[in-house]
Amino acid sequence: MDHFNDEEIGKLLRLKRHEQPPPAYFDNFLHEFHRRQRAELLRQPLWKIALQRAHDFMFQLNVSALTSYPAAATAIVICAAVLSLKVYQTPDAGQTPALAATVTVPAAGPESREVAWSLSSPVATRGLDTTSFRIANETAQTHRAVARTPRYVLDSTPVSYEAALRF
Amino acid sequence: MEQPRPDEDQKLVARTQEGDVAAFDDLVVKYTPRLYGLVYNMTSNHEDTNDLLQDVFSKAYKSIRGFRGKSSFYTWIHSIAVNMTLNFLKKRGRRFNLSLDDVDASIQNDKEFLELTQTSSPVREADLSELQVRLNEAMMKLSEEHRAVVTMFHIQGMPHAEISKILRVSEGTVRSRLFYANRQLQNYLEEFRKNPVS
Repeated sequence: MDHFNDEEIGKLLRLKRHEQPPPAYFDNFLHEFHRRQRAELLRQPLWKIALQRAHDFMFQLNVSALTSYPAAATAIVICAAVLSLKVYQTPDAGQTPALAATVTVPAAGPESREVAWSLSSPVATRGLDTTSFRIANETAQTHRAVARTPRYVLDSTPVSYEAALRF
Repeated sequence: MEQPRPDEDQKLVARTQEGDVAAFDDLVVKYTPRLYGLVYNMTSNHEDTNDLLQDVFSKAYKSIRGFRGKSSFYTWIHSIAVNMTLNFLKKRGRRFNLSLDDVDASIQNDKEFLELTQTSSPVREADLSELQVRLNEAMMKLSEEHRAVVTMFHIQGMPHAEISKILRVSEGTVRSRLFYANRQLQNYLEEFRKNPVS
């Protein structure tokens, strides 16, 4: 016989089945597996664990259909659309209560009469309204109110008059 | 070697996917001896085999939720084991040291072993440990892909079709690799045939 033939090679290699680890190896393998799993879990950063749990939670909710790319892309587009709509609406919705607050706080006091001070009101009408002076006096305790009301009046005064007054 | 029943595996996989950790433990216990043989005969190193096998089951546990049952669990877990072992061997390169397990005493009652000792003079003349080293050295001279095919076909007794599924190559490729590997093994073992006791 010159060579081992294929059959003999097969037989020789099958003898390797008798190479076996120590008897307790397979019994301890599962314990070793658990120990390594725990050690690996402890090494993981918190964000990774949180991500894994979120993933598990999503899986339990059976949203695995969203794992397909088109469905995921559609979901992202819808979320983005809803968020952008909210962001667009937020300034109006947010300002209204703020304005309401600025209006309602002085509403109990004399500033409630400032409703007449709208920009649309004619200047002449404002000039003749003497109540505005009373408002300034009455709100003198509030620094901001005092500062705001006279400046409004000064702004309405023509600049050319100021030079004449200094003489 | 008898293949595990796929329906039993399917139940265990389904239970694992539902969060039953004990079901995965059953799969680990069931597949450890078989996968140990696969990885060990590709690496010829007990310690490397142990580490690789731990990694294989760890990876399988992490990925099992994505397992949709397109192949059997048997094929799936073997694919993971073979691919991880091939990657490990490629990284390790040509450097290796044998760390062989003991030969089971039951070999003395093995029908094929008895036949070989009667018909083949090298096997008759060499002692068991010598024969073991020669066989492992010959295996390690094969390329990783050829060694994988030889291990699955000759040692694990898998059919060509199953090997082709695990390796994701055609059956023709499996047969061709096996043919080429047998020729190489013939050459490598020629020295052993000529000079059984070194």
